[in-house]
Amino acid sequence: SYTADIISTVEFNHSGELLATGDKGGRVVIFQQEQENKTQSHSRGEYNVYSTFQSHEPEFDYLKSLEIEEKINKIRWLPQKNAAQFLLSTNDKTIKLWKISERDKRPEGYNLKEEDGRYRDPTTVTTLRVPVFRPMDLMVEASPRRIFANAHTYHINSISINSDYETYLSADDLRINLWHLEITDRSFNIVDIKPANMEELTEVITAAEFHPNSCNTFVYSSSKGTIRLCDMRASALCDRHSKLFEEPEDPSNRSFFSEIISSISDVKFSHSGRYMMTRDYLSVKIWDLNMENRPVETYQVHEYLRSKLCSLYENDCIFDKFECCWNGSDSIVMTGSYNNFFRMFDRNTKRDITLEASRENNKPRTVLKPRKVCASGKRKKDEISVDSLDFNKKILHTAWHPKENIIAVATTNNLYIFQDKMN
Amino acid sequence: MEFKLEAHRIVSISLGKIYSARGQRGGLKLHKNLLVSLVLRSARQVYLSEPGCPPEPACGPPEEEPPPPGTAAWPAGEETTIPPPPQDEAARGGPRVPGAECQGPRPRRCCCGCSCCCAAAAGGEENRPDCATATGVAATLPPPHCPRKRSAGERVQAGSPVKKPRREVEEEPPPPPPDEQEDMETGNVASLISIFGSSFSGLLSKEPKGRRRPPLDGGESVAATSAEAAAEPGQICCDEPVLRTLNPWSTAIVAF
Repeated sequence: SYTADIISTVEFNHSGELLATGDKGGRVVIFQQEQENKTQSHSRGEYNVYSTFQSHEPEFDYLKSLEIEEKINKIRWLPQKNAAQFLLSTNDKTIKLWKISERDKRPEGYNLKEEDGRYRDPTTVTTLRVPVFRPMDLMVEASPRRIFANAHTYHINSISINSDYETYLSADDLRINLWHLEITDRSFNIVDIKPANMEELTEVITAAEFHPNSCNTFVYSSSKGTIRLCDMRASALCDRHSKLFEEPEDPSNRSFFSEIISSISDVKFSHSGRYMMTRDYLSVKIWDLNMENRPVETYQVHEYLRSKLCSLYENDCIFDKFECCWNGSDSIVMTGSYNNFFRMFDRNTKRDITLEASRENNKPRTVLKPRKVCASGKRKKDEISVDSLDFNKKILHTAWHPKENIIAVATTNNLYIFQDKMN
Repeated sequence: MEFKLEAHRIVSISLGKIYSARGQRGGLKLHKNLLVSLVLRSARQVYLSEPGCPPEPACGPPEEEPPPPGTAAWPAGEETTIPPPPQDEAARGGPRVPGAECQGPRPRRCCCGCSCCCAAAAGGEENRPDCATATGVAATLPPPHCPRKRSAGERVQAGSPVKKPRREVEEEPPPPPPDEQEDMETGNVASLISIFGSSFSGLLSKEPKGRRRPPLDGGESVAATSAEAAAEPGQICCDEPVLRTLNPWSTAIVAF
């Protein structure tokens, strides 16, 4: 169906060879990069569909009269340990560990079975032979190896694999649980912000991530714009943070919607582990883990929307949860916006660029043209005025190849893969 | 004044969101509803503290598209600590928010038609004719300057013959799912919507059809919660001091 194609998450694996997408219909589609073609030196391999499988199905919780959506909220890859690939995918309630393996040989020459699988009449067997493996067309199989269920009352928003590669966390609105990848029948609750009286609730957890190098450290962000860094060695229940990152609010920007736009929709550590990046409705902020009282860098994604917040509240766009990502060297950060625009900020040069992901404007192998939004006043040629932005065309999910300058950008139901021009 | 209208509109929009969230697939989104309830609370505070009323009610049909939003800023309240706002420079398309705000203090048997009052004031049904005829006007919050300037409030009441069709909030939502060991706790939604909704009835421009609120079995729960916060049932929507104690209820919205 139409809406089932809405992409809800995008993630490269650790080598960048595989790119996984999850969608609203519960499916996972994995793309694989072709081997580099030596004759075509001007481009790296293209990404083609490698595997498609149904990860989650809609469920109905009869006890609570609740339908559980099959939409895939997050996918995270495990580092590759053997020939097979493993990833975690989650919907609102259940996390699954999938094994993706290739089969390119099959046994032939059974004694008791025909090639098509029918059993032979044993009395007709006159000779015996040893089955041999023969090549076959590559088949990629996905099988669920673990199902981690029944640990979340609220909606899961994040999963993050620990650098020990043995454990991972899952976070919902009020709690964070720690799992061992091998153990599905129990998890440890490590953060619980549910108040005794729900009427006193003032904030929820919006994202969580393990530190890339330090296996005892993780962060979680809140709807109030704060980030808490926790050390699991300090106590079993990490309700007390080691660090609290928060920027004081600018009083001149106060409005009815200040609280909403300060809610953090994504948090990502840099590859180095020294910084973390947060995304709120209007900006991207880079935090130095050693400085809690303010970010070290702030980038405005679409400040021209600040005067439109009431309309954006009315049409629900103000609740859109944009993600953000680092490039492999942590020098550039990227995030999405409306009108199928996405933005990149170069931390070193302080330059930024706005690009558009759309079929009309881009043919394969053409260079993307920078876009500009005209906030007010006279619109220059090639600029787009704020009022003609299409707020239904939003880019919430982007991913950057861990090593190369290849990016994956998801519009509502299309995936675009761009790479920088070589030579 | 514009801030008051803005606040009023935002309250209506917020109520609509809370209400429509109840039927959505996948269950209530706690995060979104928390944010909406925070906006609702802020807007309501602004609405309560903003002095003055529009001279005539503008009971317009729902707008095709929202007016260009100005900076929805805080009003310069007399006694609030909110800093004075920048001027709202976006031109508004004329007052569109129905102005029934300026009713004076309601009579005891309030005619807001809200289920809490009617139901709580002994048995629902017999009060309804009273409610319907007494002023025929949907109750709204009392003039925000009530606590400080009662005389002004009365003056306003005398002078504003506002008659609006009473437009109810949606029909009573289905009873909340039974509480279990770890439910998402949706119990208070019905009562909150009825309270806020009837106070602002006519402004839920997304629901143009007025629908009668049927006699409630949810009435008891509504009355119970209203009893917690008010000395006397029947004054819920009307009484300024009671309205100020609605604060715990605004947080109850988040108890999904």
